Amino acid sequence: MNKVNSNREGTHYLNPYLGGVLMGLLMIATVFISGRELGISGAVKDTVVEAAHVISPAAAKAHPYYGQYIKEGKSPMDTWLVFEVLGVFIGALLSGIIYKRVRKPFVEHGPSISSKKRLVVALIGGILWGFGTRLGRGCTSGAALSGSSTFSFGGVMVMLLIFASAYLFAWLFRKLWT
Amino acid sequence: MNRNYFILTLIMLVLAAGTFFIPKKSMQQQVKPSKLLWEIIQPTRYVSTDQVAKMIIQKDPSLELIDVRSADEYARFSLPNTINIPLDSIVNENSMDYFGIPGTNVVFFSNDAIKADEAWVLTRRLGFNATYVMKGGLNRWIETIIQPKEPAEESPRTAFETYEFRKGAQLYFTGAKVETTTAKKAKVVIRRKKKKVVASGGC
Amino acid sequence: MGPLFPNGLISGDWNLVIAVFIGIAFGFLLEASGFSSSRNLAGVFYGYNFVVLRVFFTAVIVAMVGLLYFNYFGWLDLSKIFILPTFLPSMIVGGVVMGLGFIIGGFCPGTSFTAIVIGKLDALVFAVGLFIGIFLFAEVFPFIEHFYYSGNLGNVTLTDVTGISASWWAFGFTVIALAAFWASWLIEKKVRKRIKEYKF
Repeated sequence: MNKVNSNREGTHYLNPYLGGVLMGLLMIATVFISGRELGISGAVKDTVVEAAHVISPAAAKAHPYYGQYIKEGKSPMDTWLVFEVLGVFIGALLSGIIYKRVRKPFVEHGPSISSKKRLVVALIGGILWGFGTRLGRGCTSGAALSGSSTFSFGGVMVMLLIFASAYLFAWLFRKLWT
Repeated sequence: MNRNYFILTLIMLVLAAGTFFIPKKSMQQQVKPSKLLWEIIQPTRYVSTDQVAKMIIQKDPSLELIDVRSADEYARFSLPNTINIPLDSIVNENSMDYFGIPGTNVVFFSNDAIKADEAWVLTRRLGFNATYVMKGGLNRWIETIIQPKEPAEESPRTAFETYEFRKGAQLYFTGAKVETTTAKKAKVVIRRKKKKVVASGGC
Repeated sequence: MGPLFPNGLISGDWNLVIAVFIGIAFGFLLEASGFSSSRNLAGVFYGYNFVVLRVFFTAVIVAMVGLLYFNYFGWLDLSKIFILPTFLPSMIVGGVVMGLGFIIGGFCPGTSFTAIVIGKLDALVFAVGLFIGIFLFAEVFPFIEHFYYSGNLGNVTLTDVTGISASWWAFGFTVIALAAFWASWLIEKKVRKRIKEYKF
């Protein structure tokens, strides 16, 4: 509450506990309606599968990983998660407009690194996430958040591991953020 | 501000602690023995052969007949529109799909009522509602529907009405036998529950 | 009664329409809580901003406790909902890789999407990385297929594995989360005195 960040004007966030309670209720509603939970990375996977399918249908179908998601007469992107992620974009835009956070494209980075470096590490982080979500059967939303709230053993395990591993490596990468 | 958070913390703790006091429901809900015993001695779980005959004739869509005798016996003779689930495979995963379909009444039958009764207890124990036993089984079926006896003259009028109905039913089940059996083969509508879990998910 | 879709009370098409609205609510809450900033997210690992911890664990404990009550009132059949399957070795490695990705990239997939729409280029690059990562995974999949499927415990819950009832887990998580909220408040106050150039 003392020193001001150069690249952001005063911005207002929802009280974290209110946001958390609402998100918890949203998850209950999701389970109640659809019997499943929120997720993000599954939709990205579906998009990659679709792309592979469009580029080379035969090769994608024969591929041991893509193949299991390709079904006759149904696009790999015709899934619940893809529609949900579409909504995520809309919802985030709404919130961005309401709280006046939508801006011209810019790079947000820690005080000790340049924009360029931030972009490079973001790309590396993204690749690690992409790889990790497939091994972990989901990301923070799908595996950690939704998995743990439905008492899934794997979900709780992934949640604890994500946080534990991030804390473990935090010291190594402290230059990026502080 | 701090006081509000303190209250919220307390509320959340109380709510979480409250879950200890709600009865546990396991994945496959089982019926309590005392409740089961009470239900076993209730006569309402029986349906008479007349009722079953009436439902078959009226093509009642809610009726789901299940023959719990062995496959051999089933092949030799059974009622129309019947699903055969021998007693020893009644708690199989596959058989489960036939029970608890919304809007259907499952009626078990065997030669006498004993096997059917056992099937009823098993499914009831697993928490399935709307299951019944055909009283007297196929033996009673033969006695009453296929070879009905004329009531004595001094019997009440209702006995004669029942007899009239049975005579009609007899015609229905035996008279046009060739026709109905062929039609039956084609018409067996087997209803199954949709698969339980939407197996898609993950992030 | 619930879940509505697996019980056939709503059709598949409506389920997809509802998915969009659920997504809108999810995206809104993520963005409104401040998850669209990688610096807010990374803050939890350096002690200057615990928004992730607060929102995340509040959501988890509310959903956990709420689901138990829903099950009790008969609104929801917990045996019919999707339980994330557990594949021990691959999920352990996956979790560690994701944690490393979190501290390096500063986002997780969902938060990066919310950051893209408010104009953050680093989030866009992160999302491109996601696609590349999944593509790479598919490329090496034939070599790690055995590992990927090993240690399959099926769709097990905490109760299945430990034998401890769901109520205990919910209560345990609640106590830990609430304690963490109070602790984080104290830590944050201390760390923020030392941090430069950051608006909370």
